[in-house]
Amino acid sequence: MKWKRRIVDTEDRRLLEAFRRGEESAFSALVIKYREGVYRVARRMLGSHEDAADVTQEVFIRVHRALPRFDGRSQLYTWLYRITVNLCLDARSRLSRLPLIPDEGWPERVAGPAIEDEAEGREVSRLVARAVAALPPRQRAMVVLRLYQDLPYQEIARIMGCSEGTVKATMFAALRKLRRALAEEGVRSP
Amino acid sequence: MTLRCQDVLERLVEGATGSLPPQERSAIIDHLATCARCRDEAAAIEAAAARLREAGRFTTPPGFWPEFMQRLDERIATEQLPVSARLRRWLASPRHAWGTAALTVLATLVIVVTIRLGPARPAAHDPLPTQVRGLVTETMTTTLPSLGEMLETWRAGLTPETDLISDRTKP
Repeated sequence: MKWKRRIVDTEDRRLLEAFRRGEESAFSALVIKYREGVYRVARRMLGSHEDAADVTQEVFIRVHRALPRFDGRSQLYTWLYRITVNLCLDARSRLSRLPLIPDEGWPERVAGPAIEDEAEGREVSRLVARAVAALPPRQRAMVVLRLYQDLPYQEIARIMGCSEGTVKATMFAALRKLRRALAEEGVRSP
Repeated sequence: MTLRCQDVLERLVEGATGSLPPQERSAIIDHLATCARCRDEAAAIEAAAARLREAGRFTTPPGFWPEFMQRLDERIATEQLPVSARLRRWLASPRHAWGTAALTVLATLVIVVTIRLGPARPAAHDPLPTQVRGLVTETMTTTLPSLGEMLETWRAGLTPETDLISDRTKP
């Protein structure tokens, strides 16, 4: 994993240096590399495709503005996700008067060959998305970063601006809540 | 629940989310072998985490990313333009068509009104002598039925006297 991270870091550094030399194509390469991750975090955080698309656009606009000043003290993706989470939290507080109802989206099922399995899978996906959406915004952010983006606790702590212990305790509380919510909805263990 | 159980439960989340080092994992397995409560909790947390992971990944609608990249390029290009060019582009944008139209109508109205009315007219000549104006007090304006009536009274009564005073001061 460390080896993989080092390769990723080198690639980011190379793109960053190219961008600073004035190569706009390097920025496009960074966008292509991280856009899916940013979009998915935003989508999980905000619940709708339109809001997630707007936030993703705004993230990369801000990154383009600030990239020449990026000091490299953290990983590029940590910085990117921090911008994403902050924008999502801002957007969420603006939209707080509206109930957060995740849209159906285009769930991509990896497993489930039979049609009835597919239908059940969609229903479970909907219930899970609703349970995640019901979490407080910061808890939701941590769950999304850990479970869906596979980020280590240390990076999540940097993104959220808190200690690693806080992330672990929050994750514990969030998973307990999710477990209860899923049980109430009648979602069985896989 | 003992402190040890609490510790183990917090580590369980790391175990369930796949970030626990192997040596710590074996210590937790040892604890679970002896603690039924933690075992149940561990099973439930692992099941919830697995459900969440399995619940499918969001994908974007077809054609979304090419459009996204195009829009991003446009916005970045706009950001790099000078302010005057950005304003022109903003006004020309179809999204702001109504605003631009309203602004144009407003600007036209202001120009027409300014031309029709011409330059501001000079203020009407004040018929009151300065000396008389100085003698008007607040009490007078409140007690007399109207300011005009009061001024007429003063004009009629005081003007000769002031003329007399001014005559007296002449050598």
